[in-house]
Amino acid sequence: MMSWDFLWRHTGRAVIFVTLCGLTFVVCFPLVWALSTSLKPKTEIFATPPTLIPKAPTFENYAALVTGRQQYFQSGGQQVDTGATPAQFFTRWFLNSLVVTLGSTLISIVVSTLAAYSLTRFRYWGRTFVPYFSLLGYMVPSIIFVFPLFLMMVRLELTDTLLSLVLGYVSITLPFCMWLMWAFMRSIPIEIEEAALVDGATRMQVFRDVVLPTALPGIIAAAIFAMIVSWNDYLFGRVFLNSLDNLTLTVGVMLFFEGTHVDWGLLMAACVLMTVPMAFLFMGLQRHLVAGFGAGAVKG
Amino acid sequence: MARRLRGFTLSDQAVGVLFMVPFVLTALFFMVYPIVEAVRMAFFSYNPLRPDLSAFVGLSNFSYIFDDQLFWTSFWQATVWTSFSIVFQTLFGVAIALLLHQALPGIAIFRGLLLFPYIVPTVVIALIWRWIFNPEIGIVNYALLAGGVISERIYWLSTPEMAMASTIMLNVWKYTPFVVICVLARLQSVPLELYDAAKVDGAGVVRRFIDVTLPQLREVLIVVVVFRTIWTFNKFEEIYLLTKGGPGTSTFNLAVYAFEQSIANLKLGVGAATGVIMMIMLSIGSVIYLRSAGFAREETHG
Repeated sequence: MMSWDFLWRHTGRAVIFVTLCGLTFVVCFPLVWALSTSLKPKTEIFATPPTLIPKAPTFENYAALVTGRQQYFQSGGQQVDTGATPAQFFTRWFLNSLVVTLGSTLISIVVSTLAAYSLTRFRYWGRTFVPYFSLLGYMVPSIIFVFPLFLMMVRLELTDTLLSLVLGYVSITLPFCMWLMWAFMRSIPIEIEEAALVDGATRMQVFRDVVLPTALPGIIAAAIFAMIVSWNDYLFGRVFLNSLDNLTLTVGVMLFFEGTHVDWGLLMAACVLMTVPMAFLFMGLQRHLVAGFGAGAVKG
Repeated sequence: MARRLRGFTLSDQAVGVLFMVPFVLTALFFMVYPIVEAVRMAFFSYNPLRPDLSAFVGLSNFSYIFDDQLFWTSFWQATVWTSFSIVFQTLFGVAIALLLHQALPGIAIFRGLLLFPYIVPTVVIALIWRWIFNPEIGIVNYALLAGGVISERIYWLSTPEMAMASTIMLNVWKYTPFVVICVLARLQSVPLELYDAAKVDGAGVVRRFIDVTLPQLREVLIVVVVFRTIWTFNKFEEIYLLTKGGPGTSTFNLAVYAFEQSIANLKLGVGAATGVIMMIMLSIGSVIYLRSAGFAREETHG
């Protein structure tokens, strides 16, 4: 056993460091390769041997997506107009995704923050039941929610609208926002509020000036989770939406893949652009992730 | 608790109830209703193009499912998919968490990069997978051929076994960070005295892992495995976006089966009945979770 400790002290840290480097390379490689592909001109994408760092980096794929420029492909030395292409809708889809994500997150956060406060500060029938009901709710896969909700949207004549998606995403984000906010509110000491109440503050004042600022880290974490879930969803968008103008990014980008001609450079650029907002959110979330929410807090 | 509540006036209680109203309404519309409706639809025939022909059919959706060979195939494939995914996620997850639990320069960067796949949209991962695992032009086949590991191209997504393996790889890649997050959070709360005591007793690195770390991780691992099993078994997008359940039906799971019954076969009732079966299995899993997570104990604290 001594030999293990001896080895550990002298080489352990170096081995761990090298292992971590190797692991990180393997884990990040798919993303790095996508980024690399997105920066290559069409000729270099299929070059052998493949290049990890583009020899002639270009932003043409990104420019095509952002400006919605008409796409052409070469056919017998001639440029052929492919007609309406998904790239023309990219900025539109990006905005749609943004609207839907922010809308549903706002609803889920407001509703769950109010409810979590009520559940942890007042006593009435059913107050212990709600958090566990929410926990069960967020174990139910969206494939079960999606068709009943779709038929509900048909009846409300909301199909193929962004509003239908805003409402639909509430059913997948609300349960875990509720659970998370409840756990967070429960951990906030009640004494400061009591002091304020005794000093004559009204309940609404206490909620606005004392509770909300204290609960802000929890609210931010829950909001980030909700945004990630809504932004990344494909199923609801696929079932609820039809017209090209109304699609969200996930559904729209999958369209790039259909048809016989797959423009990998364009597709990878689209992938990078739809991952970037999540990367920023992730940086905001990192502290919260490991700092103790644990298993109950993350949706998968 | 009673002392705390004495200060609250009646109007105050009204505020408390008022705060609950939005949640109750939203939950009724968007959580309770869809589930109740899904259960109801399981006993009806429902063609979305001819909703007027919807009719009560009793248990015949269920007997249709149980007579359908594809359902049992999907069930079996889901089991294979889930088992392999969970085993690899847990092993890699614990290993990576242990590595990340060291005090090393730049550990925060490693942690960030290793957890990142968790928040990458499934659509993005599926498309990247299709690109790097493309048999003709993908980088993976190129690297394996150039490295002499394989002598002919592997058709990653178009042969049944490799398609299954590819979806498992995707799932492990995306969700191992979940295990890492949970295990890492737990590792950080293991009292250091336990390790010191073990060191005094002369336990080496390996013994300390087996005798101190593993027992401390037991609880969180049970929770993680149950959670991940429930979610993985019911996953839709990870499979559908990569293989559409194919080639043929070789990567169907129950969620893809339910989706195809509803969308392609226009049998929403059969899809809903599949959902009910999934919910029943999920409830069994949840009971195991609630038992093992020790919620009863938590309640007495709070």
